Amino acid sequence: MKKSTDADLAMSKSAVKISLDLLSNPLCEQDQDFLDMVTALDTAMKRMDAFNQEKVNQIQKTVIEPLKKFGSVFPSLNMAVKRREQALQDYRRLQAKVEKYEEKEKTGPVLAKLHQAREELRPVREDFEAKNKQLLDEMPRFYGSRLDYFQPSFESLIRAQVVYYSEMHKIFGDLTQQLDQPGHSDEQRERENEAKLSELRALSIVADD
Amino acid sequence: MADFGADEPSCTSESPEPEERASEDRSLLHQRLAIRELIDTEVSYLHMLRLCASDIRGRLQQLPPGDLDVLFSNIDDIIQVSGRFLQGLQETACHGEEEQARLIGNLFLEFQEEFEQVYKIYCANYDQALLLVKAYQKDPELQKSIQGIIEAAVPQAGPSGLSFLLVIPLQRITKFPLLLQKILENTPMDASAHPVLQRATSALQDVNSSINEYKMRKEVALKYTKVEQLSLRERLARINTHTLSKKTTRLSQLLKQEAGLVPRTEDKEFDDLEERFQWVSLCVTELKSNVAAYMDNLEAFLCFRPHEWIVDIPGGPAEQYCSLAKDLHLEALLQFKQRLKGLVWEPLCSLARALAGPRNLIKKRLDKLLDFERVEEKLLDVGSVTYEEQAARHTYQALNSLLVAELPRFNQLVTQWLGQILRTFVVLQKELAEEALRRAESSVALLPHHHIPEPDFQKLLEHTLDQNSGQLRSFQENFEKVLPPPTTQPLLPGSEYQLQALLTRYAPGKLYQVTSNISGTATLDLTLPRGQIVAVLQNKDTKGNNSRWLVDTGGHRGYVPAGKLQPYHHTLPRERELRGQTGVHEDYWLPPPEPTQPSVPTVPTTAQVVAVYPFVARSTHELSLQAGQPVTILEAQDKKGNPEWSLVEVNGHRGYVPSNFLARTPSPTPWGWSLSS
Repeated sequence: MKKSTDADLAMSKSAVKISLDLLSNPLCEQDQDFLDMVTALDTAMKRMDAFNQEKVNQIQKTVIEPLKKFGSVFPSLNMAVKRREQALQDYRRLQAKVEKYEEKEKTGPVLAKLHQAREELRPVREDFEAKNKQLLDEMPRFYGSRLDYFQPSFESLIRAQVVYYSEMHKIFGDLTQQLDQPGHSDEQRERENEAKLSELRALSIVADD
Repeated sequence: MADFGADEPSCTSESPEPEERASEDRSLLHQRLAIRELIDTEVSYLHMLRLCASDIRGRLQQLPPGDLDVLFSNIDDIIQVSGRFLQGLQETACHGEEEQARLIGNLFLEFQEEFEQVYKIYCANYDQALLLVKAYQKDPELQKSIQGIIEAAVPQAGPSGLSFLLVIPLQRITKFPLLLQKILENTPMDASAHPVLQRATSALQDVNSSINEYKMRKEVALKYTKVEQLSLRERLARINTHTLSKKTTRLSQLLKQEAGLVPRTEDKEFDDLEERFQWVSLCVTELKSNVAAYMDNLEAFLCFRPHEWIVDIPGGPAEQYCSLAKDLHLEALLQFKQRLKGLVWEPLCSLARALAGPRNLIKKRLDKLLDFERVEEKLLDVGSVTYEEQAARHTYQALNSLLVAELPRFNQLVTQWLGQILRTFVVLQKELAEEALRRAESSVALLPHHHIPEPDFQKLLEHTLDQNSGQLRSFQENFEKVLPPPTTQPLLPGSEYQLQALLTRYAPGKLYQVTSNISGTATLDLTLPRGQIVAVLQNKDTKGNNSRWLVDTGGHRGYVPAGKLQPYHHTLPRERELRGQTGVHEDYWLPPPEPTQPSVPTVPTTAQVVAVYPFVARSTHELSLQAGQPVTILEAQDKKGNPEWSLVEVNGHRGYVPSNFLARTPSPTPWGWSLSS
């Protein structure tokens, strides 16, 4: 997610660079119209960049940080699971020992050892069961809570997009009004480009491709 | 057609001398003849052209159509213009003789412009057509068939065939001035037609020279605009004495200029043009690279597809975001990218390519300028130049005039086009924003909180996020609760007493349990069975060895290996951690959980013990116990300090019981303490 926002920022920055370089070109000094157009473009781009930054900040606050926090719970969870595993191992081991003693003949020392083993087993078993139960309780709850946890993040994502795009629309709408370009369709624009290209080519100083 | 014999020019004033009269008559005769020749030749010319265009071209089917265009170029236009011209000529025939001459002059002046336009193109193309013809001649089969066709239509073409036909328009246009000249010569000076004819003649001569110049420019441009991609080897191969000498003379000229020995020809106009050209090309290249960077970033942005990652969160805003992001990526942004490419990037690329030609020409011009200057010098010194030098002069002049003529237009066009591209870019952005906004807004309408305006939403969001993070913390703590390792081994019978004794003297933190049988070997070592409780006095021995600890067993003191000791933990009661969740939520904002704050593990002063054997109280100070009954030890000794009796509390009753009857066991309820402090 973070990389997505980084890419977004980079895109916006490069758009600003376009207009900035254009402005620095001395061509602007000559041609007043050109200068006006490029200045307007530049202001628009800078504003867009500011909005983009805001949007990214918002996303950072409401999505990325909660994501991180959510993720940081997992190590503890993993450790708890490991401990349960360990307890399970101990339990099994002692259980096996108890069973081994039980199978032997019931002589005195064997009985004493059996009793001792059982004593050892009891706390271990209880411990394991305690851990197990805890995990069984907590994990589903944790996992289920993510639904509610993330909902506000997503809402905020969508809303951030809305805000950003509405600003963008407004800014560029104003800009197009200002630059006085009638609404052409794509084919029209392509034809215009072709026309310009052929005009250029008509000049003999231009080499033919 | 005027009857040249019959009409006499009306003479004014005195009648001229008979010889003059005769010569006038003769000249008039010649004039008539010349005019007639003009018209007749025009007729046959047109006829020939039409033949070429229709019959021959139609029959030369085996040549590819592109070649036909090159061969005949704009012969149709020529035919058209000539047709109209002929018509005009023929109309003049109806008028009187003097009238006719004047009218012819006027006609030429009228058609001057058109002639120039039409013949210019044809002549410039002529060289290429010739090249093609030569190529055909190399192929005997082709040549024979072409020849056959031509001879069928135009018998007088002869063996040269196609080239003969193609050169006809060239010949015609150059003939015009000559014909006109002839008419002019034979027109008396005082005739009204004379000045007109004079103008016409000079006009046609201008036409010819401008056609020539145009042709030269085209040649020069063609020669130098192509950016040649030569490999190093090819470049080396090209170096011969000629090029070397050329380059060295240029270099010397340049040095002379730098040193100030030779004045440099300053051409302000050209320099201005060149400067502007440089700006324009800089603009284009910069814009191109910036747009490229922008597109790269757009690509990178599109690479990350959040809608593919978000799995397993059904319903609600997550899904909506998923679909929104997908839409945006796959449709809106993709479309934007494609349009950007087609309408902004590709034109920029073409522009950049187009810049290469003029750039080359400018460079070459500089070279040629050096040549030119040198030649000029020589001209001044010597007075005449060789043919090559003359040619160099012409080349320079042609280049210069070409550039001066065309660069302004070029600059202007490029600037305009740049403006157009930028506008397109802006419009594209706007439309992208529109599209994205439309989708996003429709998405927002589905969200549960859409009616809340933005700042309020922000506050709500912050509040919720705080709650959520608090909840997460509680989860984290839950998971971090460490249940104590269940390695409390059962105590040896009788060691409770010992334990009590140790406890009185040492802090419980110092108590350790022996994990396996220790057999002491050295002098102060202890031999301890497994499960024995000892208190550690020092965790190293007198020699500083950290693995031998000094312990107290309650009776004896000695050293034991540290590896066989394990901390012995008492059973400690703990508050049960409260879980935060209540049952039903109305909306999905969870109520804040109870704060669960584990305290730092402190050593409790009460211990949970269980009575192992039943005990009957024999006095009021004593307390009855039942086996398995949990009790609370208040004091581990009686009033006299006797550790054999413990003051316990059971169900609110207090009393003394024998310490031996008590045992410590882990509490059956889950408990523990947190690892984090």
